[in-house]
Amino acid sequence: MTDLTSDNAETRTEATIDLRASWDALVAVAMLGTDRRNPPEPIGVIADVVDDTVRATPSERMLAQVAATVVVRRAGVLPGPSRPPIAGPETDDRPICAPVAADSWHHVISSWPVLEDEWMLTLLTNGWRVPPDLVPEILVRHRADPIRRARAELACGPLAGWLVGHLPELAPRGAANTRPDPSADDIAELPSLPIPPELELLLFADGDQVARQLSVALDSGTLAHAHRAVLVNLVARMRSDSLGPVATALESVDGASIGFALASVLADLARTRQRMLDELSVAR
Amino acid sequence: MTRWSPQQVEAIAPSPAALSAARPLTTVTRWAGLGADDRAVWGTCRGSGAEPYDTMVDHVGVASRCTCPSRRHPCKHVLALLLLWSAGDVAETTAPDQVVAWLASRQVSDTRKVPDATPGLLPTDTTPTSGTSDSDQVTDGAPEPVPLPLPEPDRDRARDERVERMHAGLTELDRWLDDRMRTGLADPALAKYATWDDLAARLVDAQAGSLANRIRRLAGLVGASPDWHSEVLAELGLLHLLAQAGRRLGSLPGPLADAVATSVGWQVRQADVLAGVPDTDTWVVAGRSDTREDRIEVRRHWLRGVTSQRWALLLSFAAYRQSLDTSLSVGTAIAADLHRYPGPALRALLGARHGDLIEPARPPAVDIVSACNEIGMLIAAEPWLDRVPFTATATIAVDGSRFVLTDAGGTLPLIAAGRSLATLLAVAAGEPIDVTCEWTPHGVVPLTVHLDGGSLDIGPRADESFVSAA
Repeated sequence: MTDLTSDNAETRTEATIDLRASWDALVAVAMLGTDRRNPPEPIGVIADVVDDTVRATPSERMLAQVAATVVVRRAGVLPGPSRPPIAGPETDDRPICAPVAADSWHHVISSWPVLEDEWMLTLLTNGWRVPPDLVPEILVRHRADPIRRARAELACGPLAGWLVGHLPELAPRGAANTRPDPSADDIAELPSLPIPPELELLLFADGDQVARQLSVALDSGTLAHAHRAVLVNLVARMRSDSLGPVATALESVDGASIGFALASVLADLARTRQRMLDELSVAR
Repeated sequence: MTRWSPQQVEAIAPSPAALSAARPLTTVTRWAGLGADDRAVWGTCRGSGAEPYDTMVDHVGVASRCTCPSRRHPCKHVLALLLLWSAGDVAETTAPDQVVAWLASRQVSDTRKVPDATPGLLPTDTTPTSGTSDSDQVTDGAPEPVPLPLPEPDRDRARDERVERMHAGLTELDRWLDDRMRTGLADPALAKYATWDDLAARLVDAQAGSLANRIRRLAGLVGASPDWHSEVLAELGLLHLLAQAGRRLGSLPGPLADAVATSVGWQVRQADVLAGVPDTDTWVVAGRSDTREDRIEVRRHWLRGVTSQRWALLLSFAAYRQSLDTSLSVGTAIAADLHRYPGPALRALLGARHGDLIEPARPPAVDIVSACNEIGMLIAAEPWLDRVPFTATATIAVDGSRFVLTDAGGTLPLIAAGRSLATLLAVAAGEPIDVTCEWTPHGVVPLTVHLDGGSLDIGPRADESFVSAA
């Protein structure tokens, strides 16, 4: 019997070719059926198996030959000829951000997508790069918006372009593909979020002041669920050093008050943003 | 020879409608090769199908066999044959070979009760269920139906009937395969789902549920790719192998007989598996893959023993809106007892756990040639396997229009797309990586990338809108 798992390349090649040719012949007969064409003569070890059994009809001999050939081919699975590995992307000297930061990205996109721009921008500003396993997901997520796409490609580094070269389905689409490249200023700027003038002052106020005003307004019902969207925008854009005091104050809102649920939600947003910025700010 | 009365025939009809359906067939012109002796009555009926149906009845032992696709027992052909015989329209003659063989096989099963080579493979009263490509039954994780306790003689008789049905089903399958060889794969009938579904239904009736599932999967291959003739032919060959082996269980070596019996669809109770000697080791959860089989989502967890270096397969199942097993995380390890199914099968059940999850953990990786050797050895033990795990160190290359795993020894073609392929490429980035894959006849499916800091689970994942699979 031919040793199909032998390391002898010549033997392996001959055996492979014989079996492949034999299989192709079987497929050709199987297409037409044994009523129209006789099965091919079995070869080598296959012939031994078929000859060992009493096969009265061409179709029975055919079945036995097919079964034996399939088993020999599968059990004798051989690797194809070696190929040169694909060349990797250019080196990216930036360190990969911490795994907790990558976990936070998943949390951000599922729970607080309003923070994603800031996550990406902070990562870029602080000299990190995206972990390789996150790159496909980020490229798929940002295919159409030109600024976000450009920011994502910067954050992913040379790996992004390399990956798109191998997998065109990850390439930009729509506006990201047709509009001119965005400027560095556009990329470095967070998109503005709608915030009403009476809340705008709080964007730059110190943490204690914001915390006091928000907790009182939520406690009393002056700010309620109808204001949720603008309050989310406020917390997403307020000074980062205000986040701690604001989160603490929101967590202290009376559980019996009308604004408790909204306060809890905003506290979670503040804590998430604070944690996200901390994780991406860790000194190298 | 005492003939039955028409009333006796009517008494065994499953319904008045079955009897009504049989009446038009009670004309001699619809039959060929009619005959009867003091043990049996037989004939070939020209039905609506292209091929006539061989029908035979043991009027002493009260059993029947018909090659028609009906799921009723007895079918209208059996009833019609008996009515003809009771009316005196069937002449006494010598039984042909196939009737003699059938009666002999009934006699053998009467005396042998169950195949000697399949201890522990006691048939249960569970309905044949949707098995998997690994010839498994969908019973893990779900309470097994508890059959009503039967008196010992009744239980033996029920078991014998199941053995006989399975044997008849395998014979019928082989006959069907033979027809496919004769008429060829270009036969337009192959494009009709009914061609396959009828056979699958008959195999379910014959207690060969796993083979029925193979048939249904096979139906999906027809016309699905430019190379479908080759793929279908290979599957037909393996079905022939199982049909032949399944009819010779008694003469096969014990472990092989067990493997064949399980692969054909013989039910094995979880309690029997868990009562076996455990395979205790620290098991690395090397990979996970989800596949939809009919209306069931199947999750495979591939485990590798740290000490034994043996592979094991844990299965979980979920129907619509149910949850798959999420207790095992890829890239962790657990000290535990595994209880293996009979034979050389990879499939096992998780028994007692002896500690907490260990993480990170990764299986040892080999080169491509060694991986092929490992795959070959597992397939040689069970040639009908269509998924085999391995862990290799390799880089990614392009061969023509497809990606391959490669090293100095050779390549294996990858079957991956979407997130899985993109993640694999991004993480490897042209460098060698350790990757756990499932070998399939069509290529290898990447399941896990093992990195220094942990493992990335990139295996095919169930549709979250169908089942909970987080």
